[in-house]
Amino acid sequence: MSYQGVAIFAEWTGKALHPVSLELLSEARRLAEELKTKVLAFFISSPEGKEAAQALIKHGADEVVWAFHDKFSSFLDDLFTRILVKMVEAERPEILLFPATARGQALAPRVAGFLRLGLTAHCVAFEIDPEERRLIQIRPSFGENIMAKIISLTKPQMATVRPGVFPRAKAEPARHGEVKPFPLEEEELKSAITVMARKERPRPKIDLSQAKILVAGGRGLGSKEFFEKLFELADLLGAAVGATRPVCHLGWVSEEHMIGVSGQTVSPRLYLGFGISGAIHHLVGLRHPGLIVAVNTDPEAPLMKRAEIAVEGDVRQILPLLIQRIKALKGVENAS
Amino acid sequence: MHIMACLKPVPEPDTVKVDLETHTLKRESAKLILNPADRFALEAAVRLKENTQGKVTAVMMGPPNAAPLLKEAFACGADEVFLLSDRAFAGADTLATSYVLAKAAERLGPFDLIVCGKVSLDGETAQVGPELAAWLGWPSVIWVKEITYKDGQLVLTRLTDEGEEVVSLTLPGVITIEPESNEPRPPSLKRLLSWAEKEVPTLTAEDLAAEPERLGLSGSPTRVLDVFTPTYEGKKEYLSGPPEEVVEQLVKILKERGLI
Ligand SMILES: Cc1cc2nc3c(=O)[nH]c(=O)nc-3n(C[C@H](O)[C@H](O)[C@H](O)COP(=O)(O)OP(=O)(O)OC[C@H]3O[C@@H](n4cnc5c(N)ncnc54)[C@H](O)[C@@H]3O)c2cc1C
Ligand SMILES: Nc1ncnc2c1ncn2[C@@H]1O[C@H](COP(=O)(O)O)[C@@H](O)[C@H]1O
Repeated sequence: MSYQGVAIFAEWTGKALHPVSLELLSEARRLAEELKTKVLAFFISSPEGKEAAQALIKHGADEVVWAFHDKFSSFLDDLFTRILVKMVEAERPEILLFPATARGQALAPRVAGFLRLGLTAHCVAFEIDPEERRLIQIRPSFGENIMAKIISLTKPQMATVRPGVFPRAKAEPARHGEVKPFPLEEEELKSAITVMARKERPRPKIDLSQAKILVAGGRGLGSKEFFEKLFELADLLGAAVGATRPVCHLGWVSEEHMIGVSGQTVSPRLYLGFGISGAIHHLVGLRHPGLIVAVNTDPEAPLMKRAEIAVEGDVRQILPLLIQRIKALKGVENAS
Repeated sequence: MHIMACLKPVPEPDTVKVDLETHTLKRESAKLILNPADRFALEAAVRLKENTQGKVTAVMMGPPNAAPLLKEAFACGADEVFLLSDRAFAGADTLATSYVLAKAAERLGPFDLIVCGKVSLDGETAQVGPELAAWLGWPSVIWVKEITYKDGQLVLTRLTDEGEEVVSLTLPGVITIEPESNEPRPPSLKRLLSWAEKEVPTLTAEDLAAEPERLGLSGSPTRVLDVFTPTYEGKKEYLSGPPEEVVEQLVKILKERGLI
């Protein structure tokens, strides 16, 4: 039997559908249309997940393979793997996508390991080679500014997807599909893991994803003291402050400000990058930026190439002047 | 408790050169270091063995020139160290890597626990730990930041997207350790010196009784098709000149576009 369909792992948080599931659905839909095939959602939840299973249909799944049990309000790595492996064997999708969340990253490699399959981590884009029905998996690779295109020689072709890179699928009330309960046997429900306590942490205090304007700084700012100037500019513009990984690690600003693979994903209308080289690890964090402005002494810096407005200059001169100019514009009294 | 710690040699970032023609990494030129995240894994293993009167065996799949890193692991508290090295391992993706580690676990064990780092600096997949667990048919728990041990069970605090969870794990199992969750001890000079002259024991594919078709490139189901540097086309403004003028132009553009 051949492999058919694009499947996603739909993630249950214990209480609700993880919103990243809708991001996976929108991309799965796009891939399935290119391959002229169906979209499947593999869904493991407590019985309260019934409405969520319907929501998966409304958001783009043609079939939801749903395993439900009271036990599944907790995430149990070994048990969930066992069920998913059986789902994959029963449904034989040609593509299987997981979110690169805590649960997705715990499960995807286990499933790949059990089935001896290839797996590509943290993809940020996909392409289809229609002739071979091949999924081309795109992810940042080690070293600055290199992206790799990776393929799997095994099926299903498996990848984890970086949250925040694909748009969330919108609900279409008229969509129809089938929710198929997945049969479970009692002895399969054993796990070596027991969840004893759960402590929820509030979302990061600084949420950059909603910022309309971002002023971001990198190592080119030279010092923690000078980095502080960004906060002054941000205040004037009603902006949030973003940063590259090295400056967070240098302690110039807390990690909550980090943009990129290891940080947050942002979609501001205006992004102003000061003294940032523009490594791919940073750039993948700019999802749908409006206008990108780069200020850098080096015209060859990748962010200068990426920017629509590239400002060649020394941040130590440009930034204070810009602050001064905007203060004047906004009619703020110059205190100094 | 007998613990296996998986340590990866990685190129030191600043020493890696990119071949501008092919956009591939010139790995030969790079200096090898211990994967930073794996220091926390090793420390977690050593603390646990100290509390349980156990033993830590550190393994590393890598080229012969990675051996000194294992001496360092010995100096940081590992009781035994093994380099898993064979030309046949070259080109391994995470599936083929975790296979070799699983064979090492069978050969050097039995182990109660295997400890991995959260993620490697170069591969950056965070896949090897859970894949290794799958090869062995063991449970795994990732992103562990606290560990206690009681009567054959580990009690672990793991990070989740929503916060933290305390879970118990019945052994044997594989865990991956959250970086910064402990303070790795510095290498003991005494231990380092006691090893200066000794060779690091090396195990080959044959020593591990590994199936040749599971190794290296031939055992790897993923392939890199291409590497590229993204380019962005589009209309551009390039501003340069005296800073005052540049700032004036920039502010004008932002105002025109209604952005400030
Ligand atoms: C696995 C992995 C994950 C990573 N995740 C992230 C991530 O999530 N986010 C992230 O940002 N990075 C991440 N990085 C790091 C990333 O690869 C880059 O190293 C980093 O983004 C570079 O930061 P930077 O631009 O501040 O510093 P640099 O690359 O050092 O750039 C500084 C820039 O400032 C310019 N400059 C210097 N002086 C001045 C001046 N006086 N005026 C104007 N310009 C000046 C220089 O020309 C240069 O372009 C990751 C790396 C790895 C390996
Ligand atoms: N070649 C290797 N030798 C030993 N351990 C490894 C190797 N590759 C990966 N690991 C382990 O797996 C973890 C995750 O690696 P990765 O999947 O590459 O991100 C590392 O932190 C190591 O603990």
